[in-house]
Amino acid sequence: MTFYESEIKRIKESCFSNDKQIETVIGMRNYIDNNYESNLNLDFLSHTRFVSKYHLLRLFKKHYGVTPRQYLIDKRIEKSKELLLNKLSVTETCYAVGFESVGSFSTLFKTKTGKSPSQFQKEQLSRSKLRIES
Amino acid sequence: MKVTAISIPVLDQEKALKFYTEILGFLKKRDIPLDGGNRWLTLVSPEWQDGPEILLEPAPLHFEPSKVYQNALREAGIPWTQFDVDNVDAEYERLMKLGVEFSVKPTVMGTSKFAVFNDTCGNNMQIVEMR
Repeated sequence: MTFYESEIKRIKESCFSNDKQIETVIGMRNYIDNNYESNLNLDFLSHTRFVSKYHLLRLFKKHYGVTPRQYLIDKRIEKSKELLLNKLSVTETCYAVGFESVGSFSTLFKTKTGKSPSQFQKEQLSRSKLRIES
Repeated sequence: MKVTAISIPVLDQEKALKFYTEILGFLKKRDIPLDGGNRWLTLVSPEWQDGPEILLEPAPLHFEPSKVYQNALREAGIPWTQFDVDNVDAEYERLMKLGVEFSVKPTVMGTSKFAVFNDTCGNNMQIVEMR
């Protein structure tokens, strides 16, 4: 066994031995992945898991390193890139991924990706056109 | 400041280029000749071509401490860095068929699953999937 393998074994036992806890956060992540376009309902999640909402928030952050809210936002931005590439308008994209204001969606998109949604769409589409032509 | 490049030390740039493109599936982005046959050689993910670039740099060939460090990591089984994949099991199967050697088979740890392979250029590399 290499040094790396023995370290993995040690860390697994000391940090990740609570299978039920891990199952809970993975369930939360799946829930967000499948419902990113609607508002996060942590009350619903905490009822199905019989734990408090705040406990869930802490668990998620402990295992994924980001809060469920941050994870949701990144998920929505990733999805919005796909929709923009599929030629949906910025407004359609904004509502389709669950944001409620086009202004704040555009600002957030720019902060996260370095480009505004319309800039991103224009660049990507002209690039794919170039690729087809060449 | 922006993060745009991840440096990977390789003994042989041409061999590394072949492995990272033909086996792993990265695309060559920049290939700038420098002196002594060295190149500024970068690759990108096919599905994220304006994302960060891998820099295959010939450091262990020219700078002894780099070689020493690379060897020590390799012998300890420690990956130089890691790449994200959608499905570690599927990627493991695909690479095994292409003759890639794994030192760690797909392993679950908390909310991630990972595996470690030999990049044939002096490094262990890890692939990881978020569960």
